[in-house]
Amino acid sequence: MNIVQLRKLSYDEVAKCNKCGFCLPSCPTYLVMKEEAYSPRGRNAITRFAIENKLKLSEDTERSIFSCLGCGACTAVCLSSVKTKDIIFQNRECEVDEGFYPKIIDRLVRTLEGSRNISDDDNEDRAEWLELIKDFPEDAFEKEHAEILFFVGCVASFFPMVQRIPANMAKILQNAGVDFTILGGDEWCCGFPLIGAGMPEKLEQMKEHNLKKVADVGAKTVVFTCPSCYHTWKHFYKTDVRLMHASQLIAELIKDKRLTLKKEVNLTATYHDPCDLGRNSGVFEEPREVVKAVPGLNFVELPQNRMLSVCCGGGGNVEMTDPDLTAQVAQMKLDSIKDVGAQMVVTACQQCVRTMQTRAKRTKSDLVVKDLTDLVVEAME
Amino acid sequence: MDNKELAERLREIAGKDYVLTSDMDRMLYSYDASLEKAIPDVVVLPNSTEEVSKIMSLAYREKIPILGRGSGTNLTGGSIPVKGGIVVHFSRMNRILEIDIPNRTATVEPGVITLDLQTEVLKKGFIYQPDPASQKVSTIGGNIAENSGGPHCLKYGVTSNHILGLEVVLNDGTVIWTGGKSRDNPGYDLAGLFVGSEGTLGLVTKAILKLERAPETIKTMLAIYETIEDGANTVSAIIAEGIVPATLEMMDNPVMRAVEETIKVGYPLDAAAVLIIELDGMPEGMDEKAQKIMEICKQNNVREVKLAKDDAERDLLWAGRKGAFGAVGQVRPSYLCCDGTVPRTKLPEVLNKVMDISKKYDVPIGNVFHAGDGNLHPLIMFDERNKDELKRVLKASTDILKACVDVGGTISGEHGVGLEKLKETSFIFCENDIEFERHIKKAFDPDDFINPGKMIPEPVCEQ
Ligand SMILES: Cc1cc2nc3c(=O)[nH]c(=O)nc-3n(C[C@H](O)[C@H](O)[C@H](O)COP(=O)(O)OP(=O)(O)OC[C@H]3O[C@@H](n4cnc5c(N)ncnc54)[C@H](O)[C@@H]3O)c2cc1C
Ligand code: SF4
Ligand code: SF4
Repeated sequence: MNIVQLRKLSYDEVAKCNKCGFCLPSCPTYLVMKEEAYSPRGRNAITRFAIENKLKLSEDTERSIFSCLGCGACTAVCLSSVKTKDIIFQNRECEVDEGFYPKIIDRLVRTLEGSRNISDDDNEDRAEWLELIKDFPEDAFEKEHAEILFFVGCVASFFPMVQRIPANMAKILQNAGVDFTILGGDEWCCGFPLIGAGMPEKLEQMKEHNLKKVADVGAKTVVFTCPSCYHTWKHFYKTDVRLMHASQLIAELIKDKRLTLKKEVNLTATYHDPCDLGRNSGVFEEPREVVKAVPGLNFVELPQNRMLSVCCGGGGNVEMTDPDLTAQVAQMKLDSIKDVGAQMVVTACQQCVRTMQTRAKRTKSDLVVKDLTDLVVEAME
Repeated sequence: MDNKELAERLREIAGKDYVLTSDMDRMLYSYDASLEKAIPDVVVLPNSTEEVSKIMSLAYREKIPILGRGSGTNLTGGSIPVKGGIVVHFSRMNRILEIDIPNRTATVEPGVITLDLQTEVLKKGFIYQPDPASQKVSTIGGNIAENSGGPHCLKYGVTSNHILGLEVVLNDGTVIWTGGKSRDNPGYDLAGLFVGSEGTLGLVTKAILKLERAPETIKTMLAIYETIEDGANTVSAIIAEGIVPATLEMMDNPVMRAVEETIKVGYPLDAAAVLIIELDGMPEGMDEKAQKIMEICKQNNVREVKLAKDDAERDLLWAGRKGAFGAVGQVRPSYLCCDGTVPRTKLPEVLNKVMDISKKYDVPIGNVFHAGDGNLHPLIMFDERNKDELKRVLKASTDILKACVDVGGTISGEHGVGLEKLKETSFIFCENDIEFERHIKKAFDPDDFINPGKMIPEPVCEQ
């Protein structure tokens, strides 16, 4: 996208920013960096200056625009409802066009287009996590037809730290007697990282492929453990198939008594709303219903929850381009969890789990970090 | 000294990561929440009084303009570097140094966010009263410079009533303390002078603030009116009765509509105006007072008075009020807030005039304001990009302030003069008044390099 196109697309929206600054204290990157360039107001100003030809895009604007986590907290508190995150991502497309973007993104794109996943592994290895549940009957997965398709997502497929999440989900679905399957090597990345990379047009081929596979399986529902896959499908894939996040399906299974949580978990726990599940997709209550259904557990809310939830630091491809910033945002998150006296944080996203768990480990914190599926499996067994 | 060398010197003082010189960074410190703009030569983010002192003495030696910046939310151009030079961003100096409950004080650095401090002290059952609508983002340093106020200042007074002591870096880098934890200090009330000086006399690096016990009971009412006049008359009647509520805020129909677009408060969209009346204090006598207020409302043709039934309802009423400025962005992208003050009894008259001005210049105006203080905030809504409209807006703003002064009021309640109201100072000050202010400024800053060009208009004819 060039500046002229950006002007057409974003000028009216960005002009709605009256520079009141109310978004500053809600932006994790501003709280960490304490410079205007890392604030939503600053990022809007950059876009506006660029549109008005007062500022050229440069390595400096790249630094600001590509450090946004895409968490959407700024819009949630903006009285003028300025769609700052969308404007930033549109600006990214311009930066990419002019060559101002973290070059690590080139590798990401090459990988995605080559191996159809974000990790450059052979896409056939997508179901590696099945080895974690060897006692399952072989034909339980990769059926030709099924009611529900479980879309696993790249991170949970390839990052050993979170491969337990799809394994959990499979156990839960099996336990509840759900007719489901996975696509294995036929699953392609949903395309989400391309949006954050400022190349949304490249998403098309991913979308086409994945939608075709759903049709082949004849699934009526696609379920996701990854909030970003879920969000991408909901907003960019135009499909009539029912899309559900795992937390929603699990809550439904509990309600229908197809799943019972019996084992006590005697801990004080809080819930972290993943940005793409909560604020950006509107799913707040189901994951809480599931956490609260676990016997013995003492539930406390974080002071900033639901629409005001603070990002873990893992969004917007920032973990890849500026790991230090991610680490500092994660630290803020861990501090706020400690402040409410929680021994455990439950979330519903493999990326949040990775970010928080990595930080907890590095700082030798004894905080227990769990995905919702971890907790359910624990209480189910 | 050229800018490159200046930046080098500043890096030696504050560290290389905390000096910003790129075109982009400088442009990002060229604005605040007003309509003014000017680009600094360099931005520095110090971490201590010592660093600020060194930065100041460098600016002093080299005669480089310098100004402090909190969150850049002031509405009059106070943090705009009109003469270039150095912007000192206080975001890193944001530590609460001490909360001293026995002495009921808090000592803070200037970059502390007002609400962060309020949240901390409330945990201990105390309150720092000044509550500008921007409290969740404004800094204590900015509040001090602008002498900020908020809804609760009707009963508790503005920022100046809550400052006990200040550490200030003077023009040549000297660090002084004025005032302290004790409530009565000999000598000139210098802290009083610094508060409201719009950052033109020195840079504040620490502040000792007064804390008060949180009230035991709070009652919040929403009074709904068919006409603005009835609402305004209620305000005068309540005060005349000798009751001082904690707040007496008014909001008119256009503003309520804008707010409901983002926050679903449940304001009555078919009413002309509402008052948010809050009582706080001991539980004894509270019900009688509330009863009395309701009677006064009825005598003034109120349609309905609703009592917030819990904290959640109260918080929602206030969220709407405090979000009102931003919310007018739903109507038009930009707004100009005219912060005039009038004697309470003149409210209906001036509000009518404001409506006439709105028609005359063909610009929509909404009203949300501290009615109890007679502090108006007509919000003129427009699109900054439309130059013709902008011209009409500026004229309308001047007319509104003139209308306030004509009935015995003044041109600023709490947002300061800054750049935007320099011209209008002539409505209230005579040349002698202004000349005396110039003397004060000279006594602190003979070279006129600390936040130059603000608050005091230049003499019409030099010599
Ligand atoms: C939506 C909205 C609502 C608002 N509501 C209110 C309200 O209800 N009441 C009210 O009073 N104001 C209100 N304001 C105005 C503004 O928030 C206040 O003036 C606030 O005090 C500014 O604080 P800041 O930290 O943003 O300071 P800035 O805007 O950064 O600076 C303000 C002034 O303080 C000076 N300054 C900052 N730090 C220092 C320091 N350490 N030493 C010396 N000088 C310093 C600057 O040079 C400048 O002159 C509102 C603004 C907005 C955008
Ligand atoms: S994005 Fe919204 S909240 Fe942030 S400065 Fe702009 S108008 Fe204010
Ligand atoms: S989306 Fe999140 S990180 Fe990006 S500007 Fe908004 S609040 Fe900051």
